Amino acid sequence: MKLAHTATIPVAPERVWAVVMDIPVAARCVPGVAAVTSTGPERYKGSLLVQIGPVRLILDGDIAITSRDDAARHASLRADAKDTRLGGTVRATVDILLRDAPGGCELRIESDVQIGGRIGEFGQPVIQRKADQLLGQFAQCLARSAT
Amino acid sequence: MSDHTIRFRLNGEEREVRVPATARLIDLVRDICGLTGTKEGCSVGVCGACSVLVDGELLSGCLVPALFVDGASVTTVEGIATGTLTPLQEAFITEGGFQCGICTPGQIVAATALLCAHPRPTDDLISEWMMGNLCRCTGYHGIVRAIKKAARA
Amino acid sequence: MSYEWHDAATWSEALALLERHADDATVVAGSTAFTLLYRQGLIRPGHVVALRRISDAARIDADAHGGLSIGAMATHSAVASSERVRRSWPELADAVSTVATIRVRNQATLGGSVAHADPASDAPVMLAALAAQAVVVSGSGATKRRVPVDEIFVDTFTTSLAPTELIHSIEVPARPAGARAVYRKFTLRSVDDYATVSVGALADLGGGTVNALRVFLGGVGPTPMRARSVERALIGGPADGRRFAEAAALARDEVDPIDDARGSADYKREMARVWTERALRSLVEIS
Repeated sequence: MKLAHTATIPVAPERVWAVVMDIPVAARCVPGVAAVTSTGPERYKGSLLVQIGPVRLILDGDIAITSRDDAARHASLRADAKDTRLGGTVRATVDILLRDAPGGCELRIESDVQIGGRIGEFGQPVIQRKADQLLGQFAQCLARSAT
Repeated sequence: MSDHTIRFRLNGEEREVRVPATARLIDLVRDICGLTGTKEGCSVGVCGACSVLVDGELLSGCLVPALFVDGASVTTVEGIATGTLTPLQEAFITEGGFQCGICTPGQIVAATALLCAHPRPTDDLISEWMMGNLCRCTGYHGIVRAIKKAARA
Repeated sequence: MSYEWHDAATWSEALALLERHADDATVVAGSTAFTLLYRQGLIRPGHVVALRRISDAARIDADAHGGLSIGAMATHSAVASSERVRRSWPELADAVSTVATIRVRNQATLGGSVAHADPASDAPVMLAALAAQAVVVSGSGATKRRVPVDEIFVDTFTTSLAPTELIHSIEVPARPAGARAVYRKFTLRSVDDYATVSVGALADLGGGTVNALRVFLGGVGPTPMRARSVERALIGGPADGRRFAEAAALARDEVDPIDDARGSADYKREMARVWTERALRSLVEIS
């Protein structure tokens, strides 16, 4: 499923870019994230707890920065996560672009999320709503962290 | 650790059985008690092939925890006829109420519950009550004819 | 993977079990939702707290104010066939009669339906329209608070209940003289399906004027969605079909549907308009 979110931030783009690309700091903006640590150059691992009603997912995953252009303020990430208890997988490619805007900048996040296994059977629409929610909260929180 | 002893009546007979907490009523009647007349069709309570009566009430064997029947009276398709076939069962034969037979146990149990609660059901009531018992073979007319015939008996 | 099953004998015992086992416990009422979620492997509780043995948990009574008090463990069938319910709110009996099949209605409970908060379910929508309240117990079972049903739903499958709270009963206000109510359910594929959209409405149309109106829609958002703009457009004006048709169009912006097997978001939005209009028109047609 394809998701996109935009947030306007009244802060200079260089400052926002620095926060966004500090992955352990930026990751704390995803609700339910715990312990993101570096596992190599541009590679990280972390854990995400997601709750949809009675269903609780604990996704353990790897994050890799697959491309990065600091001048253009454009980066791509890939996340691969598994919930070993329920037997499901999440794979997401995330595209982050920061554009100049009057008074600050505009943060645009586009992602393509593939859900596999049991979690996928829960109902794509419900998951989509949740993923959308998380992405929206992430964008808002990044905006606040940079201010 | 997670096994429980339950006591219930199964087709008129007192039973005492150990069941895992996670067992469903259909697991209890088929796998533990050996009565395989009740069928598992969809596993999600939609098709009606697993219809069972618990204290006379029509329920889905695939959705009810086995523990729920502790102290209750359970009737499966095997317990509908007592010696001879009921007028409903005879009518299913004469009116072409089945072909492959896989839905038939559920149809019989559901229709028995209907005629017990409403001995002279209207056509609308028959449809409403029986709409949760799916049949892929007959097109339903034979089933409805059988129920109406049994109601007149 | 198995679980420990506990049959609570009282509300107090059920609440104590929830305190003790916290995140690792799941509550079971009728067990329709529980069995499905467990079998799909989506929940893995270590402990199950079953409410079926709590005495008087399924009673349907008149409450102190002439309204209905429906025990949380009352099944949809019990509500549908209850003399008391049929006498004061037959529309509620009709609404819960639209759920699934007779087997599911014999097993699934009203309290469970509210607690499970499935956005496509029926009872929450009608109860919200009738301004029902959930009586929520906590602590030793003596502490009770009342939450309007239309405020208890927070998100998909999520209520505002704390993990150590339980729904004890649902109270429906006494029927005001002249009140009219309706529940319309639009199913696309088969009669026993979840609604593509459903509409629950309650109105006072005395003297040919819309004196009061509540409109809730189901299946078109993470919770029952209140069509406030429809209500505002009609309250105070004459109860006529043309005004209803115009106002129903406002329902399109009060819903937040998603694409799924029961229809695209666009289709559901349009159906929200169509079925809101039909529900409103049928309020006038009731004599």
